[in-house]
Amino acid sequence: MENELIIHNLKKTGTTGVCFLNNINLALPRGSRLSVLGPSGSGKTTLLRMIAGLDIPDSGDIRFNNASILDLPPHKRNFGMMFQDYALFPHLDVFHNIAFGLKMKGMSKQEQASIVAEMLALTNLKGFENRKVDELSGGERQRVALARTLAPGPRLLMLDEPLSALDRVLRKHLLDQLTQIFSRLHITTIFVTHDHEEAFAAGSQIILMNQGGIVQNGTPKDLMHRPMNDWVRQFMG
Amino acid sequence: MDGNAIAVKTRIYTHPYVLAGLVPLVFFLVFYFYPLAGIFIRSFVPDFPSHLHIDLSFWDQVTGSQRLAHIIWFTFWQAAVSTGLTLASAFPCAFVMSHYQFKGKKFLTLCASIPFVLPAVVVAAALDASFGKNGCLGMLNIRHPLVLIFMAHVFYNFSVMLRILTSFWAGLRANIQEAAATLGAGPFQIFIHITLPLLMPAVWAASFLVFIFCFSSFGIILILGGPAYSTIEAEIYRQAAYMFNLPVASFLSLLQIGFTLVLMGLYTAFSRKAVRFAPKAGHANFKPPQKFREKAAVAGSAGFIILLCLFPLAALAGKSLVHDGQVSLIYYQAIFVNPANSIFHVPPFTAIKFSFIFAGTALIIALVTGLCAALCLNHLDRVKAKGLAAFFDPLFMLPLSTSAVTLGFGIIITLDRPPLNLRSSTLLVPLVHALVGFPFVLRAVLPALKRIPNDIREAAATLGASPGKIFRCLDLPLISGALTAGGVFAFTISMGEFGATIFTAGPRTPTIPLAIYRFLGQPGAMNYGQAMAISTLLMVVTAAGFILIEKISSNGVQQF
Ligand SMILES: Nc1ncnc2c1ncn2[C@@H]1O[C@H](COP(=O)(O)OP(=O)(O)O)[C@@H](O)[C@H]1O
Ligand SMILES: [Mg+2]
Repeated sequence: MENELIIHNLKKTGTTGVCFLNNINLALPRGSRLSVLGPSGSGKTTLLRMIAGLDIPDSGDIRFNNASILDLPPHKRNFGMMFQDYALFPHLDVFHNIAFGLKMKGMSKQEQASIVAEMLALTNLKGFENRKVDELSGGERQRVALARTLAPGPRLLMLDEPLSALDRVLRKHLLDQLTQIFSRLHITTIFVTHDHEEAFAAGSQIILMNQGGIVQNGTPKDLMHRPMNDWVRQFMG
Repeated sequence: MDGNAIAVKTRIYTHPYVLAGLVPLVFFLVFYFYPLAGIFIRSFVPDFPSHLHIDLSFWDQVTGSQRLAHIIWFTFWQAAVSTGLTLASAFPCAFVMSHYQFKGKKFLTLCASIPFVLPAVVVAAALDASFGKNGCLGMLNIRHPLVLIFMAHVFYNFSVMLRILTSFWAGLRANIQEAAATLGAGPFQIFIHITLPLLMPAVWAASFLVFIFCFSSFGIILILGGPAYSTIEAEIYRQAAYMFNLPVASFLSLLQIGFTLVLMGLYTAFSRKAVRFAPKAGHANFKPPQKFREKAAVAGSAGFIILLCLFPLAALAGKSLVHDGQVSLIYYQAIFVNPANSIFHVPPFTAIKFSFIFAGTALIIALVTGLCAALCLNHLDRVKAKGLAAFFDPLFMLPLSTSAVTLGFGIIITLDRPPLNLRSSTLLVPLVHALVGFPFVLRAVLPALKRIPNDIREAAATLGASPGKIFRCLDLPLISGALTAGGVFAFTISMGEFGATIFTAGPRTPTIPLAIYRFLGQPGAMNYGQAMAISTLLMVVTAAGFILIEKISSNGVQQF
């Protein structure tokens, strides 16, 4: 299958000389689902931010559909990103949060309303249109963030630890919902987590990161049964 | 790698928000630093720039003059006495306000805050209306200029002192005092050994602030003190406007700048110390007064606050409405109707018109420059150029600690000739007012901007919002409350500004405070009555502005 997203020798060093990302290479076929797994501070968020265009790498390249996108500002990439703490707009209600990306595309009010309705149905949020976002529970906020990310029909979907802010029971439930939604959408997805059960459930391919580098890249089975080294074995428990 | 680093740096400094910072910077260079430099140069080179010889003869005038030494001494001791009196009257009230919850406390807090936002000329007029020769309590015969000055300063600064002490005292954790009690300390010992030491930094900080205000008090001294009681501020004005002795006026301005800088430094040091002890907000444990003693204390402070803060204002309004022992609107009508034999070149109504025009223009200038500065500082902070932000932030606050008289004086001696001649421009007054209002806009808007989490901007970018759209759809709505508050601040400050206006406003473009000053200086019941009437109008406008700001900030948008 053709590779849609290609990351080549991506590097990022902090001002103090600490290496945030070290020689990342990655290829994602269209419609594939990747989980990025790694302990806190391993560079997962930094990688997503580079792909989204929110951070600029020191060197290396990011190509999408065979064209480098490094010079493309984030608002022209049409990549959806769901932030770890959701980053909902505090002054807008649920409807206008979800409609934001559609408004930016210059869609008419009617088109906006119909897509928002679709998203509300998809994420089980019917009836929440006029709620203020600070009146929502954690699970509801998470679903609004997902709906907002999906609404503009992004070319690539990135989720940064989407379940980490929720309690255990809710996490399990919403993980099932998320994977169901993914399998319906056929959109290339990058799912970031520090929990290997989540990673296994969400991705058919997994990269394991540590200290800014990729330690192992393979299927869930590979990781479980053929760990590269002791550190991987230990991390997988 | 190096090339990349340079590119990143360049990108930071050519970012639109950083470039926006040039607007307030140029504004400051032209209307703040250039005039102050002018003062500095003219103290030593009086005929600058036509004759470049250094003339230090002002030094003989200064050192040889008993009067100047007397003035400097008076400036200090009147400020010290005023501060002491303010502290003495606010301390007991702060105890009550920080310990008890009772009906009408909100109203009382509002009453106590209003005097501080009133223009100095209104305060002077209100004190005159209460205790002056024609005042409500004129028969008490306590109208010695010094007494009036002290009362005006207490009236004016009581609210700052009360606010700082109350918020600090309310936050001192009760359990520290309870711990002391379990260790055998009685109420008095707890106060002496625990409460007072913890409170002291706040007392010092508040006292320094009030001292600075009294030290640079101008309108009150000029109106209530008369020629016999002059402070450095008032003397700068007299030397410049009546004696045309620019070198001495310049030297006094330098002195004033030096003194205020030192005092501000001390204040900053003390308030930093106070912050170290400052408890977390929202930790107040108020209780209703129960014992008779407590009830008496609450009633006493409430009575005192109302008497102190409301009586002079009521007297002012009352005086404006009573003519020949009867309620009448004659003074208000006179403002609008009577241009003949006016003491102005123009009818007094013009002053009201110009005040509103100037305040409106000042509001726009202050909002634009203040918003630009806030965007720039916020961006510098965000891209980790914290050094630059830490340099420009206090620089932009300088107008707060510069006396308005000095500013006004510097501006008329520098901006009256090429390269920039604004002597007869009607923009001069709004520009100066905007400079004075600028720090308030910045202090309102910057925290609001900083509170916007950056990830919602990034989220908007990933959803397709360009930088311009992010500003319009996220930042602007989220800071609209703060912008409104800043604008109202700038407007009310402009309406009441006196010290700089007295220098910069031309005879044909007077403002309300100038009109009040001139009416109060004229004999006759008609002039006095009109002074009361315009003062009342100004009082209503500024109090309304203040209440509006309080409303906005209690709606979740904080100013400081
Ligand atoms: N803007 C930044 N400033 C300083 N350090 C950063 C910044 N962004 C990331 N880092 C550092 O980069 C490393 C990786 O961070 P991150 O990508 O957030 O890890 P993860 O998301 O896997 O927990 C960490 O060591 C973090 O401290
Ligand atoms: Mg992270």
